[in-house]
Formats: sequence, structure tokens, C-alpha cells
Amino acid sequence: MSDWPSAFEAELLRLGVQPGRARRLADETSQQAAESAATPGDVFGPAHLYARHLMAELNAPAAATTRTRFEAGPVLLSLTGVGKKYRRQTVFQDVNLTVRGGEVAAIVGANGCGKSTLLRICAGLTRPTSGEVRRVRRVGLVPQDGGTAGWLTAEEHFTLFGAAAGMVPGRARSTGVHLATRLAWRPGRKQRAQQMSGGTRQKLNLVLGELHAPDLLLLDEPYQGFDQGAYLDFWQQVFAWRDAGRAIVVVTHLLHDLQNVDHVLDLGER
Amino acid sequence: MTPRPWLHGFLDLCLLAMLRERADYGYGLSQRLAAAGVAEVPGGTLYPALLRLEEQGLATPSWGPSESGPRRKYYAITGAGLDVLEQQAGDWRRFRDGVDSLLSAVPHE
Repeated sequence: MSDWPSAFEAELLRLGVQPGRARRLADETSQQAAESAATPGDVFGPAHLYARHLMAELNAPAAATTRTRFEAGPVLLSLTGVGKKYRRQTVFQDVNLTVRGGEVAAIVGANGCGKSTLLRICAGLTRPTSGEVRRVRRVGLVPQDGGTAGWLTAEEHFTLFGAAAGMVPGRARSTGVHLATRLAWRPGRKQRAQQMSGGTRQKLNLVLGELHAPDLLLLDEPYQGFDQGAYLDFWQQVFAWRDAGRAIVVVTHLLHDLQNVDHVLDLGER
Repeated sequence: MTPRPWLHGFLDLCLLAMLRERADYGYGLSQRLAAAGVAEVPGGTLYPALLRLEEQGLATPSWGPSESGPRRKYYAITGAGLDVLEQQAGDWRRFRDGVDSLLSAVPHE
């Protein structure tokens, strides 16, 4: 039973808690169990699950602000009557979407209905056949795959992408490492992108997408290869961005993601 | 006893109210909640809530001895905690009165 506190502490560290704090929380948790003369396992259940639960509880918004959501800010992205044709084939037409700061929009629909194309139009990488797109200048795009260079390490990616946004190398690296920690990821110093698991490479993509603190974040199914814990971390991160006043557009095919978003754009049923 | 989802929204309120009466430690608070007939709160719900109150500056901890076993972490309410308690108590009364008015409405004949 004595390994419960150490398993608990290890999971806290994996979740990005600072070592001193993880130790303190592990000690306190043992003492809390002792208050009712029980073992930690009896009171709190499996160590790794309680560690995640505790972090989720502590990251929850303050008691006083539970009901005051961030008020929707200025419009950061607007699509009016947007359509796309390839040759004479219409992919979609007459799409309207307005996303303000502090809002999350989801683009859903079956494979092949043009979700990724629409996201690229939002980013300004693909030109629409019709309609108008207006967006803020600072945009971050996280593609579904690709976007990383196999022979570079995580920190080299931070430096490279930071330089493109005008950040000095040291600041780009420390920002990247900090953002990685919030996804429960500690980048290895020597590990190249091609040696990372698919889920870790997606975390790298996510960090690169927000490295330059964009006002509008465009995410294309960014959790492919995530395990359950990382998937929950991802959504917490989305809501943290939202509460910081950013606008987020997520392409997703998972319907249970939709209960907490502000707008749902279904390309499939058009 | 109270269904869990109900308690979730009002646990902070109950804890702050008990701490306003007197400083207490985790197990003592869980016994007071049970004695008041509010809920049997499991440790996995209670202690994260206490820690959150501490980190938000609504309650402040101090260590005290116990007659048996390890030392105990006692929580006292802070000025900020009193402010939040007052605000949440108002929210609670509005909610309670609203539900009461729905429950006491008489069907139309």
C-alpha cells in the first residue's frame, strides 16, 4: 500500500505538476486518508485516476466565477456566403459562420464533405470560389497531420516556428516547453519528431499552432493518436484558450465534443 | 441523501458556511455535512474542494495536533471567502425560492 503515494506523485509529475508541489500534495493526501483512519486507496481510489481528478478540480474556474463565462468579444472570423468548387464539382456553398473572441466553433460532417478545405479557407491558405472571408491577422493553424519536420527535435521546432513569428530563440523554446507541459508532455532534448508517437507529434503540432499567441486558432482533428487522458487535457486547453478571449474553430467527427461549443457548423447536412 | 450532482454546485457554499462558524479540518467537515443531513461526501470530492478553496484564497490552512494519529490541517475562512459566501448564499436563496415556487404551483383544473 505504501506505493500509493509514489504512484500518485508520479502521475502528478506526468501531468506537469512542479516536483515540490507534487510531493506536498502526495504527503497531504496520505494525511487526509489518515484522518479517517483509512488507506489512500480506500478513500480516493486508484492513484493515477485521483491525480487526474484532483488536477481537473484545481483547474476548474474559481467558485465566484463559475457562472460568469467570458463575454463574447469582437468578431475574429466571419465567413459570408462562402463556397468552393473544384472544376464543376461543388464541395460546399453558401457557408456562413461568425466566431467571436471567447467562443468555440465546431465544423462537423462526414468524410469528404470539405471540412479541412473550409478550415484552410478560414486560414487563408485556400481561396474560396465565392463569398467573403474576414479574419484577424494573428492566426494559428494546426493541421491534421504533417507540419513537422522528422529530423528536428521539439526544441528545434520551437526555435524555427518562433523565428517565423519574430520570437528570439530562447523565448520561443521556453514558451514551447511551457505550453507542452500544459498538455502533460515533457519534450525530450534529443528526440526527433520522427521518433515520437503519433499522439506526441500531434501535441507538438498543437504547441506550434499557439506558439505565437494567435487570436484565432484553427484546429483540424488535432487529437488523433491521443489517449483518453491527453484527449481530456486537449479540451481543457481549448476552454482555457476560449476563456482567455481567443476564438477557436475545431474540425471534429466526435459528436460528444459538441456539448460545450458555441457554434456547430454541419457541412454534411447541407 | 442528496443526489451527487445537486451537491456539486453547492459544496463550496456549504464548506464556506461551516468554516464561517468555526475553523475545521477535512474529516470534521465531512461529519458536520453528514450530521446536517446534507450529504455523505466522499474524500475524493471533499479534499479537492478544500484545496481549491485554499488556492483561491477563500480559506487559509494551519496545522494543528490531534489526540491520536497525524497532525491535522485546519481551514479558516478569509475575507475573500466571506465575500464569496455572501454572494453564493444569495444565489442559493434565489435558486431555492425558484424551485420551491415551481414545486408549490397548483395544477389548473
